[in-house]
Amino acid sequence: MTRPFQPIVSMSGTANPTGVVPPPSVPLGFLAMAGVGLTGFGLAAWLAADHLVLSPFHRGVVSAVHMAVLAFLTVAVLGAIHQFGPVAGRTPIRSIAAARLTLAGIVLTAWLLPTGFAHGPRWLVPAAGLIGATTVTLAAWNLSAPLLTRDGGVPVAGLRISISYLLVTVAFGVVYALNREAGWFPLYPSRVLAHAHLGLLGWLGLAYVSVAEKLWPMFLLSHRPSARSGVISVASLGVGVAPLALGLLFSIPWMAWLGGGLVTIGLTAHVVSFVSSVRHRHRSLELLHCFLFTSMAFLVAALLLGGFAASFQVEPALRVRVVTAEVAALMAWLGLAVIGHAHKIVPFIAYTALRSQGVRDHPSGRPLLFSDLYRKAPAWLALLLAGVGFAALIVGILGESPTSIATAGVMVSTSGIVSTVNLALGPKLISNASQRRHGAHPLPGGAAAGTIRMEAG
Amino acid sequence: MTTPSAQEALVAAAYQALRDVWDPELGLDIVSMGLIYDVRADETGVVIDMTLTTPGCPVSQQLPMEAEETLRRALPEVLIQLNVVWDPPWSPERMSDDVLGALKFR
Repeated sequence: MTRPFQPIVSMSGTANPTGVVPPPSVPLGFLAMAGVGLTGFGLAAWLAADHLVLSPFHRGVVSAVHMAVLAFLTVAVLGAIHQFGPVAGRTPIRSIAAARLTLAGIVLTAWLLPTGFAHGPRWLVPAAGLIGATTVTLAAWNLSAPLLTRDGGVPVAGLRISISYLLVTVAFGVVYALNREAGWFPLYPSRVLAHAHLGLLGWLGLAYVSVAEKLWPMFLLSHRPSARSGVISVASLGVGVAPLALGLLFSIPWMAWLGGGLVTIGLTAHVVSFVSSVRHRHRSLELLHCFLFTSMAFLVAALLLGGFAASFQVEPALRVRVVTAEVAALMAWLGLAVIGHAHKIVPFIAYTALRSQGVRDHPSGRPLLFSDLYRKAPAWLALLLAGVGFAALIVGILGESPTSIATAGVMVSTSGIVSTVNLALGPKLISNASQRRHGAHPLPGGAAAGTIRMEAG
Repeated sequence: MTTPSAQEALVAAAYQALRDVWDPELGLDIVSMGLIYDVRADETGVVIDMTLTTPGCPVSQQLPMEAEETLRRALPEVLIQLNVVWDPPWSPERMSDDVLGALKFR
């Protein structure tokens, strides 16, 4: 039975194949700044290496963690949602200007907050927190148009919940920042952990798990007999993070266990979903898949470390190290996934932009491919540096080795530089080559206004 | 009024043109990938039913635009209507042996 057609899609030669995505400069701006954030995180980890082995609550360490979660991961995931949300929800964001303001606001927050933690002045932390709260509220309003649609399936439903967790995480952060001045309540380690898990699992983890359910089948050319594990992962993670955070926050063990159990089910289902996608794939493994395998290894490590810390009575110092390593492993899981997917998403967006400028071919004359828009060797180098770097970070935390942590920081930072430069230069080189072939004016871009009808998917 | 043989020629020309449209992720043409479900010509022009590997995927939505653009260049005098359909859903069984070989999955 034929389903109804949606309205005609505009094909007027813009760099906008669906008529709903924002201009390329919006997601590419976010992703470029995320690359800078990754570099900054590596440097912050290097600088904080000596302190990290003594206490994860040292101001330099808190600064480095916020660099990772805000300047790298949050900026990248927000950029991806600005591109993916409108496509999955088939509805554009409310305002392009608001998207640009979100980028400016989140980058400002992501750099001011860690600076305030590390160097002061003290007012900078709450000030950055308030800028961050305003920014994510703006982002939630802007993204609500595509994310409130009812036919976006599991990915859009998951993103809806993850944006809610982003708002809660930032509100938590603002309260904690103000509490530093006012001293309303003691900031126990379990309360810091509640904040970290809200951000890493409820916001970033759930957003990635939701989007992966759409991206993996496509990138792996995989048609699974059932997507049940994906549904379980999004649902369990979405439901489980709240009791986990509340249990940690108010020291209610049964609630923390309930939430932790649901989160473990959700993340395990996510691993199962990945394995199923790989098993049913119809293409050979390549760069992205190696990023994903490495990323999954860190997720499994995080689950083991978290399970160990929750299940065994160990001396407090060891527990702190294990939990800190678990948080680092969660950051590694998401970090490797973000860098890997950036090697797909950035070339795609750049490809669309290049075609709109009339650049259709590789210099050899064959049609342009996504893989032409970055160099393979630097991409593999980025994987190696990030994979080994994050592993060294976890080993350094567990083994109390400042050298290992400092080396990890340098490697992760270099990975950020290599991937950002590689992904930024690739499209430029192709564009320059095309101009050399066709003169100053490449082939005319785009098609006449027209006659493509898109059936509701 | 176009004759049946002219219509057949149009269909063949459209298929030939669509073989120049590559999936930019896989580097394979969309006809061999089984993304073209039907091409038919009538007195008003050529109608193409095509699909994508995954509904709602952010990447594949570029392809209909490229297919339409290529057909317009190849058949400038002909009215082109390209429909993106999801029924029946695409499955890997629709790929040709050549494509499966190129993907190392024959």
